[in-house]
Amino acid sequence: MSAIISAANLRKQYGKSTALDGASFQVEAGRIVGLIGPNGSGKTTTLKAILGLTPFDGELSVLGMDPRTQREQLMNDVCFIADVAILPRWLKVKDAIAFVEGVHPRFDRAKAEKYIARTKLTPDMKVKAMSKGMVVQLHLALVMAIDAKLLVLDEPTLGLDILYRKQFYQNLLEDYFDENKTILITTHQIEEVEHILTDLLFIEDGRISLAASMDEVGERFTEVMVEPQFIAAANALQPLSQRTVFGKAIMLFDGVARQQLSNFGELRTPSVADLFVATMKGTYA
Amino acid sequence: MKTMKWLIKREMWENKGMLLWTPVVISSAVATLGLVAAFIGKHGDWEVNGRNIGSVTVEGTARANIADTMAQAYMASSIPLLMVLSFLVFFYCLGALHDERRDRSLLFWKSLPVSDLTTVLSKVLMAVVVAPLITLGIAVVMSLVILAAGCMALMAHGTNMFGALLLSPDLYLTPLRMVALLPVYALWALPTVGWLLMVSSWARSKVFLWAVGTPVISALLMLWAEKGLHLGFDTAWYTANIVDRILLGVVPGSWLMFDRVHIMLEHEEHKLAIPQTIFNESWGTLAGINVWVGAAAGVAMIATAVWMRRRREEA
Repeated sequence: MSAIISAANLRKQYGKSTALDGASFQVEAGRIVGLIGPNGSGKTTTLKAILGLTPFDGELSVLGMDPRTQREQLMNDVCFIADVAILPRWLKVKDAIAFVEGVHPRFDRAKAEKYIARTKLTPDMKVKAMSKGMVVQLHLALVMAIDAKLLVLDEPTLGLDILYRKQFYQNLLEDYFDENKTILITTHQIEEVEHILTDLLFIEDGRISLAASMDEVGERFTEVMVEPQFIAAANALQPLSQRTVFGKAIMLFDGVARQQLSNFGELRTPSVADLFVATMKGTYA
Repeated sequence: MKTMKWLIKREMWENKGMLLWTPVVISSAVATLGLVAAFIGKHGDWEVNGRNIGSVTVEGTARANIADTMAQAYMASSIPLLMVLSFLVFFYCLGALHDERRDRSLLFWKSLPVSDLTTVLSKVLMAVVVAPLITLGIAVVMSLVILAAGCMALMAHGTNMFGALLLSPDLYLTPLRMVALLPVYALWALPTVGWLLMVSSWARSKVFLWAVGTPVISALLMLWAEKGLHLGFDTAWYTANIVDRILLGVVPGSWLMFDRVHIMLEHEEHKLAIPQTIFNESWGTLAGINVWVGAAAGVAMIATAVWMRRRREEA
């Protein structure tokens, strides 16, 4: 089995509120998986469970290890960048590199320095003197130089401008990702990651509501710009959602043959964002 | 081992200002005062062992006696520095596990393959070994500077102490004795270090209030219950054996107070050099049960801190 992460029936309560309510999913090696869900749906809790940062109930195996009991060992092969895991203000670039090199067996200093050289970071710069974008660059440089099997990103580009965001994902794809690595990513900026994802996991109310590869998503979900005369017929096929753009009805179908839908009007593959909105509607209602 | 080395370095990077520059600045201030006193202070009014040596040249036995006193006592000028060390270690421990939670860098440190146990131990080592060694190093240099200045001032009055001092074994033994007291210090400091680290890993905010307020207020409550309600509490015992131990253990020499050692008597009876007496008595405290009970409590509290760091979830 090439499953990097396999989770079964994860449960977690914070007092009376349920963060995870029986989430089950698998992540295969060599994939870039987007874990996407509304606020409070259990995304961060799932990531924390995978990283061994929170106790939970259920079965979870990450790289064959239980994050609850084998955390330190697991961290040899897992890296993470979280919006909330920020670098301390007093840390200098050169010290950060030296420290990670000192404690991490899989760290490659040359790689980190090569990446740093492409930024405006200097060895003596302290984190407190950096912009948020630069801090993320430093963190990414550290993480990219680690030959880890699994990289977990929790809102890694939150608060960055568009230049940093684009560059972040570009670096990740071009210089880091290969078939031996797996990336698990959560973000609300779906548009920016959807073209790099290979798999989607939608999470809703602590449960996985959709788990599919992007190819499967393309096959399963179809968006149709329905011509006015077919609206009733199309509605009979129970679209997931319907919206109106420039006076035309756009309907999103799940598991309806494309051939059949092509009679109603122009077809297209929905964006992840549209799919997300369609499947999560009513979340905050 | 390698990981520990980097963890210690990490602590140094973070706390350099506090653990290195504070003692440097304070020792410079003390040394400056010493120099001012030696050279600009009131001349002709120098008394050592009750003899005025301001205007006479001292030689022979008298000079040897003065040399002995100076060689034994010169580290006394580092007492302010050692008192400062207590504060440094106290506040270092208080922040050690709290700052990383407050600035949310905890998750970054946790993303590296370093166990919570190793991390917390690096902070314990920092508190009871590295920080005291840094301060001691600075203290020795400063004391020697002041001693040399004193000798030069004496020289200006016609008495040359350098030769006698350099030949005095106490000159070299005194700093060594202080370094050799480090294990005693560490053991007596453990309850305080453990308590502070535990509070540091546990309190959401206001660590100082929790660390100091809890024992002090509980002692006051007990006192009130004892005196006001005539309940059978022994507040004096509680204060001496719990409150003082978890708050004052980081004060160098605290063991002399906790174990009620009578240095002076000893000194009079056996005619030992004072630093040697202090040294012997300090190691002697390890024969009692007091220190070990405290150390065990300290280890338990450190273990709690490790557990908290591992289990505690940050919002």
